[in-house]
Amino acid sequence: MTDFRLTTQHTDGDLVLAGIAGDLDIATAPHLRAQGLTLIGQGHRHLILDLAAVTFCDSSGFNALVGIFRCAKEPGGSLTLAAVPDRLERLLSLTGLDALLPAYPTAADALAAHARSQDTATAQ
Amino acid sequence: MPQEGHAAVHGGKPGRWAPSAAGEASRIEAVRRYDILDTPPDGAFDRVAAMAARLFAVPVASVTIVDEDRIWFKAAHGLEGVSEISREPGLCGSAILSDETLVIPDTLTDPVACSNGLVTGPMGVRFYAAAPIITHDGHRLGTVNILDTRPRLITEDDTATLADLAAIVLDEMEMRLSALNALRVEQERRREQEEARERAERDTAAIQAFASTLQRTLLPPALPVVPGLELACHYATASPRDVGGDFYDVFPLGGGKWAFFLGDVCGKGPEAAAVTSLTRYTLRAAALIDPDPDIVLTSLNTALLLEPAVGTRFCTAVFGILEPHEEEGFAVTVATGGHPPVYHLRGHGVVEAVRPKGGMLIGALAEAHFASHTFRLAPGEGLLLYTDGLTEARTADGQMIGEEGLTGFLAARTAPVGATAVIEDTVALIDATPYGAGDDVALLALSVPFADASVDGVTANAHTIAPAGEMPESRP
Repeated sequence: MTDFRLTTQHTDGDLVLAGIAGDLDIATAPHLRAQGLTLIGQGHRHLILDLAAVTFCDSSGFNALVGIFRCAKEPGGSLTLAAVPDRLERLLSLTGLDALLPAYPTAADALAAHARSQDTATAQ
Repeated sequence: MPQEGHAAVHGGKPGRWAPSAAGEASRIEAVRRYDILDTPPDGAFDRVAAMAARLFAVPVASVTIVDEDRIWFKAAHGLEGVSEISREPGLCGSAILSDETLVIPDTLTDPVACSNGLVTGPMGVRFYAAAPIITHDGHRLGTVNILDTRPRLITEDDTATLADLAAIVLDEMEMRLSALNALRVEQERRREQEEARERAERDTAAIQAFASTLQRTLLPPALPVVPGLELACHYATASPRDVGGDFYDVFPLGGGKWAFFLGDVCGKGPEAAAVTSLTRYTLRAAALIDPDPDIVLTSLNTALLLEPAVGTRFCTAVFGILEPHEEEGFAVTVATGGHPPVYHLRGHGVVEAVRPKGGMLIGALAEAHFASHTFRLAPGEGLLLYTDGLTEARTADGQMIGEEGLTGFLAARTAPVGATAVIEDTVALIDATPYGAGDDVALLALSVPFADASVDGVTANAHTIAPAGEMPESRP
């Protein structure tokens, strides 16, 4: 099996920031999907996935992310990506999902953006 | 010591004369079980008969089996050429009616034996003694007997010896029977194995026939002939056994309009094949209701979301319709759902990627929206649709061909734009990579020949299944 690891780095209420390391391929995608769904099941409907340490991502990894996004959306949550690899970025753009999955250069940017969006939501 | 009351031994046991019909039936069944009747001579039984004759110094000794209506000789010493006699009472016929050894010192004084054929006939038997061959479950199958032409007496020891010989005969028969049974079991086992093997072969053949029939229904269909259009395609699965997730089709909408599509279901294997099938039929059906490409893709999105496997199976697709253009060629409207762009080949290396903005992945989200774009496909121009197996094939330096590479390749191609030639050149591009396409590849090309080419419609089908093997290379 190729190397893959998902590490929870930060939680704050319904928000979770997790770092993903290793390959996202046909072998690891089911784990990514399962662990993402577990986080949502634990009440973290807003997920930020930091992909900075992802070494490879093909369409299987992309499929897993779509699955996590679909699941997060049900309770009104979101999936935000940070440090998206080029190939995944092309896939997101090609499939029109870049409009639904916000992406930021770094995890810190993603956290800050999420905080802003929550403030906006609260203000409204 | 002479045995006393011989006549009484015979006549005084009424049991000897009254075998019940049921008892006789089960006795016959036991005889049949040993499967010994009418078997060829056997040294072991011959030796018992010879031994009996020698031990008792009689001219005739035999081993008999009493059948329903005959007395059959398994071994006969001193009775050349006799294999069986009728089942008359008196001698063997009477001996099997009791467990005890029957001794008739003088047949002429025995009320029953005196009229037996062996006594009254040329043999003139005067002395007869027989020990029944008794099975472990109590059936008397026949006898070991001795005969003489003179009356005589035998001792109790002699009687016991005769009974021992009968017991030896039974042991021999038991051994034969168990060997026979072992053989039968073995033969039965072999027969069952053979049957199981034949059944498995038939099942395998049936399953293979079924699978290949199913596989054919999942393969893209042969392309139709479309007036004023040249069509060509290429389809290759990464594995000959896999039905790929790539699909395409071209079909009539009526009124001179045609529809075409090409796409890719995410994933592999039977589940992906099932989604591929659902996708193809949904696209065809939706297009007949309303051919607007945007609406067709929306229908497909809805259909896939209604699938039980929803959330795990998506697809990307290009769907387009062709209508005869008022001048020449066709008006093409193309919608995409998350699929790589369609290339509009305008001739002389002019290439335009048709990329309607905002077409989303199909089957993943209820709110997905699609976008379409309309343009004219003029004579001398063509379209190339492909799945990402093409752009993800790696060149010698390990880089994927990519969209840029494909665009460059098409732009460098200055030969006339004909669907067949475009497909051939593109397949050659894949074949030139060191490992070929690692994934399934589907290619579909459409081109409008110049009017002077006087072409009514040319269709080239190239379904290549790689690696080569079990599937047809091309279809008519």
